[in-house]
Amino acid sequence: MADPIEDEIKREVSAHKILIYGKGTKTMPMCGFTRETMQFFDKYGYPYEVVDVLPNPAKRETLNKLYNWPTLPKVFIDGQFYGDTDILEPMAKKGELEPLLKKAFGK
Amino acid sequence: MLRTMISPDAVTQYIQQAMPDAKVWVTDKTGTMDHLSVKVVSSAFAGKNPLDRHRMVYQALDAPMKDGRIHALELTIETPDGQ
Repeated sequence: MADPIEDEIKREVSAHKILIYGKGTKTMPMCGFTRETMQFFDKYGYPYEVVDVLPNPAKRETLNKLYNWPTLPKVFIDGQFYGDTDILEPMAKKGELEPLLKKAFGK
Repeated sequence: MLRTMISPDAVTQYIQQAMPDAKVWVTDKTGTMDHLSVKVVSSAFAGKNPLDRHRMVYQALDAPMKDGRIHALELTIETPDGQ
């Protein structure tokens, strides 16, 4: 039996080229790290989606288990899990992020 | 609000239980000791990708993260040869 929460996550991950599971919304981030992650992607100018999982502890728990990652935010690019800015910042410094985003958006 | 804080030494001990050769630097980001920036250098990270390296440290800090002593963690992870 498929887990409806897992299905929802898979749907969201495939629907958005850049997806951030975080605390709070785009207009009202409720956590410094979620805000930092949005600011990080703002620099690149590609659209991203933020899904607030603060009101949904079951979904938060499912996300933690699925990706073996205990913290928020969780970032997905082109359907792939990339952790958070601890992973993305060094990738950006090495010049690995821009090509990845370009490819994701077909540019 | 009263929070239980964790000392830099306790953070180091948790990590060294999992990775005995680890060198650990702990920085308090907010002055409240629950938003930490932690640098870990250990040979245990050799050959592991960044996601798995983070998972190793999260696992080592599972207890203080679950009980809320650590609320947020910024990690820098390296091997002794700077990889």
